[in-house]
Amino acid sequence: MRIDIRGLTVGLALMLLSAFSAHAAASCGDNTGKPATGEPIVIGAITGKTGPDDFSNSTKAAKAYFDCLNANGGIKGRPVKYLVEDDQWNPETASQLAAKLVNDEKAVLMVGNSSYVECGANADFYKKSGILVVAGVGVPRECYFAENYAPTNAGPRVSMLGAMGYALDKLNAKSVVCIGPNIPNVGTWSCDGVMLLAKEKGFAAQTILMDPGSADATSIILQAASSKPDVIVLGLSKGVAVPLLSAAEEQGLNQTITFLSAASVYDLSVPGTIGPGWDGKFYVNMEFNDLDAKTPDNQNWLAVMDQYGQKSDPRDTFAQAGYLAARIAEKALVTLDPSNVTRETASAAVRQIKGFKSDIFCAPWYFGDGQPRHNANSTTRMAVAEGGKWKVVSDCVQSPDPELKDIRAFEASAGLN
Amino acid sequence: MNILPFIISGLGIGAVYALSGVGLVILFRATGVLNFAFGAFGAIGAHCAWQLLEWKMPLAVAILAAVAVSTAISFLYGRIFAPMLSHRDTVVRAVGTLAPALVLIALMGIVWGELPRRLQFPTDLMFVSLFGVRLTYTRIIALLLAVVMVGAITLLLNRTRLGLDMRALANDRDLSAILGVRILYTETAAWIITGVFAGFAGLLLADLVRLQGTFLTLLVIPAIAAAILGQLRSLWETAVAGLLIGIAEAALTPFGWISPYRAAAPFIIALVAVTILGSTAKAVLKDR
Repeated sequence: MRIDIRGLTVGLALMLLSAFSAHAAASCGDNTGKPATGEPIVIGAITGKTGPDDFSNSTKAAKAYFDCLNANGGIKGRPVKYLVEDDQWNPETASQLAAKLVNDEKAVLMVGNSSYVECGANADFYKKSGILVVAGVGVPRECYFAENYAPTNAGPRVSMLGAMGYALDKLNAKSVVCIGPNIPNVGTWSCDGVMLLAKEKGFAAQTILMDPGSADATSIILQAASSKPDVIVLGLSKGVAVPLLSAAEEQGLNQTITFLSAASVYDLSVPGTIGPGWDGKFYVNMEFNDLDAKTPDNQNWLAVMDQYGQKSDPRDTFAQAGYLAARIAEKALVTLDPSNVTRETASAAVRQIKGFKSDIFCAPWYFGDGQPRHNANSTTRMAVAEGGKWKVVSDCVQSPDPELKDIRAFEASAGLN
Repeated sequence: MNILPFIISGLGIGAVYALSGVGLVILFRATGVLNFAFGAFGAIGAHCAWQLLEWKMPLAVAILAAVAVSTAISFLYGRIFAPMLSHRDTVVRAVGTLAPALVLIALMGIVWGELPRRLQFPTDLMFVSLFGVRLTYTRIIALLLAVVMVGAITLLLNRTRLGLDMRALANDRDLSAILGVRILYTETAAWIITGVFAGFAGLLLADLVRLQGTFLTLLVIPAIAAAILGQLRSLWETAVAGLLIGIAEAALTPFGWISPYRAAAPFIIALVAVTILGSTAKAVLKDR
């Protein structure tokens, strides 16, 4: 047998390249490697980019996936034209942009939305227009109580109650203080869930609502500690939670009380920022899998981000949410006849989504056809701060939120999850 | 209900409000500028300190650098831009300072982003316990620093030539010029002094509150409230007002119905102060 030196060299080079590259090649659609050239399918998205916080990581990841899909044959030859608009955290702007995308651009679906204000502003409009939203990140209650709006993330309430469930089951918590922001349909909604669970299960609970703009974290912490709780559960953004933890450490409370948080604080930088004083003492709920998880789909998400996203695009939970939303949309659209992709057919296809599996989710995602509201992601994991990193400490557990009764009943009747 | 722990907790931030308020009043007395960028000057210094600590520089170097950066930026604005507005209305001169504030917020956003950071001093972990609350050394340092700096500035105003010039400028700018007061020199000195105050206040607030550009910039509001309560004249009254605003904000915490809105306390106190002290404030402006 003649040995082909050139072939050997190329093979060796390829092997080295794959060994040294961070992730395997991104896998999208049919993986044809040929760009889609047909008539574009218009998909819209609204995100809150400029404003109090940047929520656009979800749409950035969705865009990366659609770009990858378009480079690999698209939806049966048709590329996705993904139009992302910034609502600037302004409900009025959000309404105008929705009208633009739905009425003017004739979007067939909305995918990867991630906004604080958009759900409340547009839910009725989406219903009237007959368009479905497979959102990335929903925050306020409205995102989970609309007929045409289904986020991929769990949401602050379900996530916070996931943390609460862990505190009850694994940390033996008998009394709790819930701290949330005094933002309507966010802080009260989340802490009300804890109070409701307390009534059901018979543990002591107290709510503290705080102005996220308050300069005085120590007083909040002192107030929370005054009822001598076993655990304190936070439902705040990381920018507000970190100063509260610093104030608690200053008062020595990290030695006596265990702190937990909704997924809003699950960011890779947080354990390092809060320091070693919180090792093993600060737990956080994760709406999705570990950001570094070596599982195939999580690795594919990272590979898509590396090949089709910007280097500066964050690889965070919001990005996982957007990636999943794009994948779900793709799954719905490929079931259609490519010559007949309309809002009606696309909506009907999304309504049929059941058992969408990804290792980034704990449980398969479904749309919930005929349901007045949607919260498919309600099974979550927990992690704890340790040595400047998050360490996953629990398997997937269903959130004990009493408000999920209708969702659980639907899942049981439809044979889901 | 025991309110004492909250009073202790409010002391630290109150002291920094006091320090900031006094920094504002000194500048206003000498130049007639109400510096809205005060918080931003402090914030950028604090960010520099965090960066140096991150690069494993000694704490003393980080603190000195923070104060130096805040002072340098204050000096540059005071020497280059402020003189261009010196013959405009008080309001225009105040609004002018919004420009550096916005530029600095953007700069901090670009360089450090919005991820939460933590500025920590070794003194955060040393404390005395009072009424079940830990009063950290950082808070005690904030209190002492406020007293020492107000004392030092009072001496400067009363005992030195520069202080005399400042007081003269505060009373009548044109007349002072005729009498030979070196206006530019005196005003620049005031910008440098306010920069030093901003540097220390920024460091302490970043440690006690949070290290975030926009947030620290907006903490100028309670300081302005304190300055207004001091009628933009009295350093000691401003200092006491700052302390009381901090304590008031903290002491409202245990009252459930008002607690979520207590961050508005400085604004409301300032509003009431403007209404009650309106006439005196007008008299101050008339002097100018």
